[in-house]
Amino acid sequence: MTKRYPGASVAVDALDLEVPDGKTVVLVGPSGCGKTTTLRMINRLVEPTEGRVLLDGRDVRQSNPAQLRRGIGYVIQQTGLFPHRTVEDNIATVPLLNGWRRAKARARARDLLKLVGLDPALARRYPYQLSGGQQQRVGVARALAADPPVLLMDEPFSAVDPVIRASLQDELLRLQTELRKTVVLVTHDIEEAIKVGDLVALYRPHGRLAQLDTPQRLLGMPVDSYVSDFVGFDRGIRRLSFFRAVGLDLQTQPIVGTDSTVAKALSAARDAGQPWILVTDSDGKPRGWLPAARLAPLADDTPLGNVPSDGFGHTFTVETDSLRAALDAAVLSPAGRAIGVDSTGRVAGLLSYDRLQAAVQAAEAAAQDAEPEPRSMPT
Amino acid sequence: MSWSWVSGNGSLIWQLTRETAYLGVVPALIGLVISVPLGIAAARWRWFSPPVLTVVTIIYALPSLALFIALIPALGLSDTNVIVALTLFSLCIMVPSVIVGVRSVPEPVRQAATAMGYSELRQLVQVELPLATPVILAGLRVAVVSSISLTSVGQLIGVSSLGYLFIDGLQRSFPTEIYVGLALIIVLALACDLVLVGVRRALTPWADRS
Repeated sequence: MTKRYPGASVAVDALDLEVPDGKTVVLVGPSGCGKTTTLRMINRLVEPTEGRVLLDGRDVRQSNPAQLRRGIGYVIQQTGLFPHRTVEDNIATVPLLNGWRRAKARARARDLLKLVGLDPALARRYPYQLSGGQQQRVGVARALAADPPVLLMDEPFSAVDPVIRASLQDELLRLQTELRKTVVLVTHDIEEAIKVGDLVALYRPHGRLAQLDTPQRLLGMPVDSYVSDFVGFDRGIRRLSFFRAVGLDLQTQPIVGTDSTVAKALSAARDAGQPWILVTDSDGKPRGWLPAARLAPLADDTPLGNVPSDGFGHTFTVETDSLRAALDAAVLSPAGRAIGVDSTGRVAGLLSYDRLQAAVQAAEAAAQDAEPEPRSMPT
Repeated sequence: MSWSWVSGNGSLIWQLTRETAYLGVVPALIGLVISVPLGIAAARWRWFSPPVLTVVTIIYALPSLALFIALIPALGLSDTNVIVALTLFSLCIMVPSVIVGVRSVPEPVRQAATAMGYSELRQLVQVELPLATPVILAGLRVAVVSSISLTSVGQLIGVSSLGYLFIDGLQRSFPTEIYVGLALIIVLALACDLVLVGVRRALTPWADRS
């Protein structure tokens, strides 16, 4: 579809975009690139100049606009909450428009408050009595109230501070695993797009698509320099977020318990050919790094517990973290090696740069095999 | 100041006060009823706003006495004459208030209402007008106070109000009457204003007063 405004340049240019059911598609690009216009054409806040929008195979222009919109959830940046209505009545807006009885609509509103992680005691408050993050959650609850299959979100998290924004993004991901709505989200923040999107549509200025792809492939195979510049210089490292650490080949030496001796530690270091030894406590949790050079002058039977060790930075959890977390742990480790732990915090093994690199290459190759050609757009 | 005059003329003073209250409040309320549709239309259709505002400004520029006299051929020396004139004056305050009130509805709220699936009329009645209420009521407070004060001019065409005390006091060189009239007009205006503040609080519990 295309949207032209009289006397202005083209807002959306011959866009062809298919949003799969139950997936989150993020429209991202510089300001004025037509991403918001695209979003608004879906619920007829803007009508396309050419082309059409199909919802479940049906042209949206065949529906009465008000009726159509009640079936599509909508969340906007400044929340757009109704200041004169309590939280519960805000959330109940669409059910009430659909003719529900007030008591039933309010009961539904309270369920939704819980769903978006808010205390139902907030139901009787007015929007001005809530924090920015709470208001934004109410906005999401309001959009979900009539259980629409489609959710449109226009820069939903841009007006809150970074910490709240991250928690709202996590909340959206959690909700999506539960609800599986078809979501179209607009943002100018590529990090947000990569974090929350199943697919990312990156726009060029003047309403053309540059690349429509999974976040992983957008980072790994940008179609041109515009895309790679937009994605950012550290896209290689960020892409590691999509590779899991679970299959990593970890080393189990040199790791010694705090009740062991200097002689055993030095022999473990020698066997592994490593200058740094990881000392664990009696539970098997990391206690600190010891350089072999510090142990050499000490008597062989000195208990390791008596030798001060260096801090171990932070660890990565093998079962749940990504290669990015593993790399980060390696970079911050004084020994240059990352400590992998299990879900209880016990040391599972050590990861060197060499083995990390081998794992990255293997993961890249697997990703390439899965889908060989980037889905580029005509420019 | 002759307190014996005050105590001896209680029933007259009470009657004049009631007449003033009636002549002051009724035009402001009629003005409110007329202004709401006019103001909404002017806020919605941009071209309609300049002519409406020009007309109300011209009305406001008219001397009140001239307007009372101009209405005599049609309405005579009656309460109706004063009520019509003061209603016209109250429009000068109320119409701009309604326009500003409706335009003060935040754009994201308007957009959200449309996107939720409100029809235009329902959005106006259930979202935009409630949100315009504080501004409209602020205008009504000014309109009521100013029309209470203008009732006394109506006395010049013989329509009874506290204005009687000014004219009678002047003619008889009896300042007590003038002081009493002045004090009661101020008290009446403050009382009406207080009532409207209460109305606003009751209607807009959602407004952030911090």
